[in-house]
Parts: sequence; C-alpha cells; structure tokens
Amino acid sequence: MTLLTARRTRPAHAGRRRRFGGRFNPETPPWLFAAPALVVYALVVLYPAVSGVVYAFTDWSGIGQDMSFVGLANFRTLLADEQAMGSIGNTLLLTVAIVVVQNGVGLLLALGVHARLKSRALLRVVFFSPVVVSPVMVAFLWKYIYNPDPSAGLNGLLGLRVDWLGDPSVALWSIAGMVVWQYAGYSMVIFLAGLEGVPRELHEAAMIDGAGTFQRFRYVTWPLLAPAVTINLMLSTIGGLKLFDQVFAATNGGPGYATETLSTVLYKQAFVFGKFGYSTAIALVLALFVAAVSLVQVYYLRGREVSA
Amino acid sequence: MTDLLHDARVSRGRFLRMMGGLAAAAAVTACSTRPETTATTGSGAATELKFIGVADQKAAMDKLAAAYQQAKPSVRITPSYAPTDQVQTSLRTQLGAGNAPDLHVVYPGNGSAMSMTQIAGAGLLADLSAQAWTKTIPAGFKPAFQLDGKTYIFSAGSSVIGAVYNKKVFEQAGVEAPPATWSEFLALCDKLKKAGVVPIALGAQTPWVTQLITYALVPSTVYAKDPTFDDKQLAGQASFADSGWRQAMEMYLELQKRGFFNDKPNGTTFEQQTAMVATGKAAMAIQVSAVLPDFRKAASSPDDLSMFPLPGADDANSVWIPAGVVVGLGASAKGKNAEEAKAFIDFLGKQENINAWAKEIAAIPLTQDSSSTIDPAVESFLPFTKDRAVPFMDQRWPNAEVQPVHFAVIQELLAGDSTIDEALKKMDEAYRK
Repeated sequence: MTLLTARRTRPAHAGRRRRFGGRFNPETPPWLFAAPALVVYALVVLYPAVSGVVYAFTDWSGIGQDMSFVGLANFRTLLADEQAMGSIGNTLLLTVAIVVVQNGVGLLLALGVHARLKSRALLRVVFFSPVVVSPVMVAFLWKYIYNPDPSAGLNGLLGLRVDWLGDPSVALWSIAGMVVWQYAGYSMVIFLAGLEGVPRELHEAAMIDGAGTFQRFRYVTWPLLAPAVTINLMLSTIGGLKLFDQVFAATNGGPGYATETLSTVLYKQAFVFGKFGYSTAIALVLALFVAAVSLVQVYYLRGREVSA
Repeated sequence: MTDLLHDARVSRGRFLRMMGGLAAAAAVTACSTRPETTATTGSGAATELKFIGVADQKAAMDKLAAAYQQAKPSVRITPSYAPTDQVQTSLRTQLGAGNAPDLHVVYPGNGSAMSMTQIAGAGLLADLSAQAWTKTIPAGFKPAFQLDGKTYIFSAGSSVIGAVYNKKVFEQAGVEAPPATWSEFLALCDKLKKAGVVPIALGAQTPWVTQLITYALVPSTVYAKDPTFDDKQLAGQASFADSGWRQAMEMYLELQKRGFFNDKPNGTTFEQQTAMVATGKAAMAIQVSAVLPDFRKAASSPDDLSMFPLPGADDANSVWIPAGVVVGLGASAKGKNAEEAKAFIDFLGKQENINAWAKEIAAIPLTQDSSSTIDPAVESFLPFTKDRAVPFMDQRWPNAEVQPVHFAVIQELLAGDSTIDEALKKMDEAYRK
C-alpha cells in the first residue's frame, strides 16, 4: 500500500527527474552532482599528471627544447642509484614509524577526549590545532625545539644532550616525531567519528554480561572502529610515502643522506641537478608504489570491517 | 542548519539555476577586480619588466630599480625575491615552460642548475657582449661571466670567503693580530678556547655552510701549488682524491678534532651560527663576505665585526684566498621585452651603479674608480685579489651534482659516518657524471 501511495505521488515530477539521471538511489554515485568537480580534477590534476609521464622516458633537462627519448634508461639508472635506493629504505622506515605511532597516539587521544571529561571540547581543539598549521612552518618551529644546545628546546626540557637533527642515527626519528606531533590530531578526529558511531546499547549489553573496560574495547569498540582504522592507515601510509615538506624544511635530506626520502631525491634531481626526465621516472615509480600499497591495504582492511 | 536545508525543499532545477547564478556572479566579480589592480600598479608605465631574484639581491636591486625608474619613467621594474631553493624551483619551472621573467637571477660560471653556463647553454639568456661594461671584466673572472666568448650575466663584483670575527671577543681573549699562517690560526683557536669561548661557530645543518671551510682552504692547498688544477680536472688529468683537497679535508677535521667548533655543528643552522658570533658566544665563523650584513644586523653594534683571510698554509706567501663573482642576473633571450631588459642591465653596468650594488653586499666592485668604496672588513683581502685569488670552486665544476655531494660528505665526515677517502671518491664520481 505504501508503495502504491508513493507511486501515485511521483508522476508529476518523474519526467523532469529522469532528465537528470533518474530517481535518487543511495547506491549509485551522484555523477551529475560530482561532474563539475570531476571535470576540474581531470583538467587540473589528471591531464597534467598523465601528460607528464612521457618525460620519464626522455633526458629532458627541464629547460630548453633539447630532449631525446631514452627508453627505459631512467628506470635502469634508478635501480643502480645508491642514493635513490637508500632513500627508499628511509621512506619505508619513516612510513612505518609514522603509521604506527601516529595512529596509536591518535587512538589514545580519541579515547581520551571521547570520555566524559569536562574540558574535552577544548582538548579536541588543542590536539587538532597542529593539523591546520602548514607543514613547513611546523618544521621551522621544530628546528628550534630540536636545538642541539643542552640548555635550549627539547634538550633543555628533558635534560638531554641529543643532536636531534644533526645525528644521522637520530634525525630520521626526529622527523617522524615532528610529523606525528602534527598529524596525531588528524587521526584522532577520524577515530573520534568512529567512536561516536559505536552504539551505547552494545556497551551496556557488554557491561551487563560482565565485560571489563579492556574487553569492551577489544570486542565492541575495536571491531566497530574498523572503517576508521582503514581510512587512518591509508591516509597515514600515503602521507608517509610521499613525505616531503617536513624533511625538506628541517634537514634537506641531511646530515649526509640520512633523511633523504624518495620525494626529496626526485625534487633534487629535477630542480637542483636539472634532470627532469630521471626525476619524472622516480615520480612515476613512487606514484605506482603508493597506489599499489594503498589498494592492497584497502582490500585487506575492508575485509575486516563489520557494522553494528 | 540541517533542518533548515531539509525544510527548504529547493528543486534540483532551482538549485542548479542558483549555482549558475552564483558562478556568474563570481566570474563578474573576478573580472571586475582586474582593471582595479592595473589601475593601482600601473602609474602610466609603458613597459613592465619582471625580475625574479634571490633574497640576497633585494637591498641592492630595490635601490637600483627605483633609480632606473627615475631615469627612465617609461619602464617599470617589478621585482620579487625568495630564498635560493624556492627561486630555483619556480624559476626553472618557468624557464622550462617558456614563460621566463624578463630579468632573473643567474649564478656565475657553471656548477648549479641556475648557473650561467647551464641556462645560456640552453639558449635562454640574452647576449650582453655589446654593452660597454663587459669590455672591462677582469680576465680572471671571464669564465664566470662568459660562455664561448659571449657575456650572459651581470654581477656587481666579487665576494671573498674568510673568517668573520667578533672584535670584542678577540680583544677580551688578548688576540692582537689576525693569524698569517695555519699554525698561527690553530694557536689562535687554542687561545680562544682556553678563554672559554667557542673559537669557530659552524652551522653545518644549513647545507651551503658546510662547504665554506674547504673553499677557504683549497686555494692554498690546491691552487697555490697548481693554478691550472681546474683545467686539468676538466681534462680528466686530476681528481679530488689525488690533490690538495685531501689536505683541506684533513685540516677541516683537525679543527673538529681539536674541539674548535661549537658542539654538534650538524644540528646548528646558519642563523644560529650568525647569532653565536654576533653575540660573542663564539669568536668567529668561516663565511662568505656577502653575508656580513646578516652578522652586522644580529650584533649590538655593526662595528663589532670584521674579517680576515683564513690562512690555509704554513708559509704566509703560499696563502691563497677564494674570491668568487657574486650572484648576478641575466635577461631572458626570448622575452618580448628583451631589449628593454638589456637596457636595464646596461644601466647596472655603469660604474656608479656597480659601486652602489657592491656597497650593499660588502662586495669588491667588479671595476673600480675613485668613488668606489670597499668595505673596511674586506680590506685585508685586497692584497690577495690580484694574483693569489681563485673563483669559488663550484663555478668551474661541470655539473650541478658535485656541490650537493660536497655538502653531504662534509656532514657525514662531521658526524663521523664517513672517511676522507670515501668523501673524495663520492665527489670524484659526481664530477664525472
């Protein structure tokens, strides 16, 4: 009966609606609505990116018209390039550190500000505020905090004598710390959204069944947080793999090559050494690698998502 | 708010019309702002010359651009400045895309991606050879200005690398005269260290600072013995590993071993280095004279600071110094205002303008007359500039990779992560690329 009523009320607008792609269906994406954004995205992002791929197979210097096709030579150079290979190791180490710590801290912060604290609204703002600062500014700020002087910055606060950005064995982790400080609040907000979606009744039911705090987290909260975990892990992995601003502003890849990431290497090849062709080849490899890792991650993590 | 939206019941057609209206309004507003901007910046100038430069050029360029506009009101110069790294990125992109500014920063000689040889080699710089000032370029500086006999860059003069020192600290430690030999220099550092002050501030976290000590020593350890070293190296007959570069690196590390640097130089920046010397926490820094204004700004009195040549040899007569042409500018060969841009460079080449530019950056003017002034801080370098000075080493290096490798290996050596053998090997490999 309801169905019939619904049908009876629709015909007046049905013709007009069909022109715009038919009845609203939450399962199909609203293509028309997204079209302007997609067109801009295609023109501003996709077209330049795809047309740039050609340069990966040339020896273009970035200036002038001289360029010749060199086939796969740039990719062979990459495989033999000690510095680029070393930077892949650094990039992976940084990514793992950032993904684990940023999400761990983000989850703890989210659980903390989700609790019934009086100042939780204020704390949410405080923890999120570093996210809105430009990464380059954060790096400059942290250069002061990481001052090696024993009486200044973090050393002065903790009574240490660590050369945070100058010691090759510490510098990479100092940069990870800086990134985690900035983006833990971002992970927190996503986890918080997930936590808000966990029905109170499930917790109450678990409490009645005698579950303690940890058990409720393990068996109720954690499984239902899976979508938030997927998004957070994916975003932080992508962020880690293409990390550039903070490294460039804080150490410029140094001391030596200790904090060189794939992004800083490709930047230097293009703008410092004038090897645009080779740099584009590195960028292409980086883009494919990030895409592959993200797809695998999403495929695996989506599999463990459940709904309440 | 959400309820409001739900209740408003705007049909899709109406929504799209509203959005179209908004877009049209935005477009109209955007267009309407355009004439206003022109009106505020225009001031009736017929030609506008765009200049992109590095921050070091700001003081001199602003002054001379204003002077040029007074002399020739029909041309307006709109300069913009940024730190070297950023300029390198944006300018190279513009050069690559074929929309270079009319005038832009160019580094003398070769050895960096924005150097005269690299850009002129790509046919992007206008030939300045017909201008009068190019006839008076000192012979020793010609490789910095010219490619295949044609001049492509204007630079106001040269700067030197040596020790920037705090006079008050030297007085307090009882230092009477600057050292003339390497042994005297080591004794001086020892004396300062015993007086409880850091002898040499080193901000090696800032990459370009790492190179200055080797640059200050190599003229004595390499070029004093063989002034044709560059040519031999280009011909493949000499290398870093089998030359006085090894000795210079050993001397560099000796300074570290003896505790003459501040603690943790790899974690210290150029700004911190500047502040240490300016405030008297450290006695000196091996630096290029072009940054002397930065030290003076940070000091309580600009007269507190002076410079002396770093003696890289034990025989005072074998001490040579690095004197390099300072960063300059060139005119875009393909810009529509190329002739006007060249006319401006011709104006810069007048002696009084060379003097004015050099004065702003404490440089030694390219050519001198009775009105030329030389900063008293660099006077002690003048006896060397005639026949015991060599351009900064990178200006003759064949590619842009050697210099960044030099930065990186110095940081590795300071961190104890590498050996001199490995460092020189890496530099030789980069040189041969």
